[in-house]
Amino acid sequence: MKDLSNLNVVNDKILKIKQLLTELEAEAEQFPALSRNSKRALASIKMLELNISDMIAFDLIES
Amino acid sequence: MNSQEYWNPVLETMPLEKLKVLQFKKFKRILNWAYTHSKFHKALYDTAGLTPDDIHSFDDIKKIPKVEKSMMREIQNKDPFPYGDALCVPLEEVSTYRQTSGTTGQPVYQPDTWQDWEWWSECWSFVLWAQGYRPKDRVFIPFGYNIFVAFWAGHYAAEKLGCEVVPGGVLDTQSRILKIQELNATAMMATPTYVLRMADIAKNKMGIDPAELSINKITCAGEPGAGIPSTKKRMEDAWGAKVYDHSGATEIGAWSYECKNQPCGMHVNEAMFLVEIEDINTGEIIEEPGRKGKMIITALDRMAQPCIRFDSKDVIEWDSEVCSCGRSFRLIKGGVIGRADDITKVKGVLLSPTAIEEVVRSIDGLGDEFEVIVDNQGDVDRIKLKVELMPEVTKLSIENTLKDQLRLKTNLGYQIEYYDYGSLPRYEVKAKRFKDLRKKHIEKECRL
Repeated sequence: MKDLSNLNVVNDKILKIKQLLTELEAEAEQFPALSRNSKRALASIKMLELNISDMIAFDLIES
Repeated sequence: MNSQEYWNPVLETMPLEKLKVLQFKKFKRILNWAYTHSKFHKALYDTAGLTPDDIHSFDDIKKIPKVEKSMMREIQNKDPFPYGDALCVPLEEVSTYRQTSGTTGQPVYQPDTWQDWEWWSECWSFVLWAQGYRPKDRVFIPFGYNIFVAFWAGHYAAEKLGCEVVPGGVLDTQSRILKIQELNATAMMATPTYVLRMADIAKNKMGIDPAELSINKITCAGEPGAGIPSTKKRMEDAWGAKVYDHSGATEIGAWSYECKNQPCGMHVNEAMFLVEIEDINTGEIIEEPGRKGKMIITALDRMAQPCIRFDSKDVIEWDSEVCSCGRSFRLIKGGVIGRADDITKVKGVLLSPTAIEEVVRSIDGLGDEFEVIVDNQGDVDRIKLKVELMPEVTKLSIENTLKDQLRLKTNLGYQIEYYDYGSLPRYEVKAKRFKDLRKKHIEKECRL
């Protein structure tokens, strides 16, 4: 990553994906292939949060 | 900064003061999670008269009670079966069962959700990337894929990095060596004991020189060997490969790693773990380099069965050196030096089995295997050291060097027994080379 100031933008994208997957998981209760794969993808999204979003949430990156 | 050197170029080079802020905020988060989701943790903190709201600063963290392995043993085998009250998620969220090896008693059960498994492999990704694993690598993993965590997460992490993984599970050692040769594997993960065992079998039973194989890096775990210079040298010489140390545990996670610069120590992943070093006598938290103590560790993001201020009994010390790799994650000098359980007093002198290993493995005429037996005759402690002579090496040619080095490194005298090469027991995973046969093995007497 060349421009670290973009982390806020990256974080916005992570949170958007998380929001979409959370909705998909909740809406697809009767569709296991959708709900379980969404849940599994959310576990991966959590790793993006640990790598990026936490730093934003904890004010460790200057905007 | 060459960001390609780091798995996470921001976290791994973050100034220490910012890392401390990150650790504190994450500590509060996991503490609050455990307090509100686990009866075990709530009872533990309530008994101490503390709630997460009482933790206002980094210094307050040491007020939080430690968790001992024995406490985890006591709560398991109860509902929610088999994990008991430390479980923080509904049982149906648990996707993976692992257990400790039971070296020090009844094994501890470890539940993980899929998110926890993602976290495990994320922690291992820091390890492997720092050691130079890249998508072009073909990684051979020769361990029995089973209930022990061992290299499972290393497997998943290597896949995440984009490497090609060859699971060398239910194969005997010779078949594994042939598979490495057949596939031109470039990297491998194993315990130091098994790395040396494989080299021995390749060379002496199969007529294959492991240094001629394509392995160029090996990640070790499970034992301190890769942090002991003479053992590391033996492995590197045998395989013609770089050997890197790593430390993790079933209840904790993959918390530290040696980077490509091989700084004679390991980086603590301070973005994912909080490591405190506690003076064994006073309980004081040691901040400065150069003082050994017991590691108290918190996994900051592990959710199903949290690991908060866990008394690991690993003996470590902070290094005063900063690694030239550019990571701000602090180094522990020489890796994990030993376990508080193993460091014991003999004839009034503290003895660490790793010090004996360092000496034995530094002498060319001795084989890789050895055994240390401590017993007593009346009130007098005795240490017997069994070593193997390499073929065509005589006892006379090495005895003085061995005795002198042992005296120098451990301040103790030994009754040394010499055996023919190949006579002592061989181990496939973790070795049991140290036996204390005295009735009282008192950890309290440890004075580091």
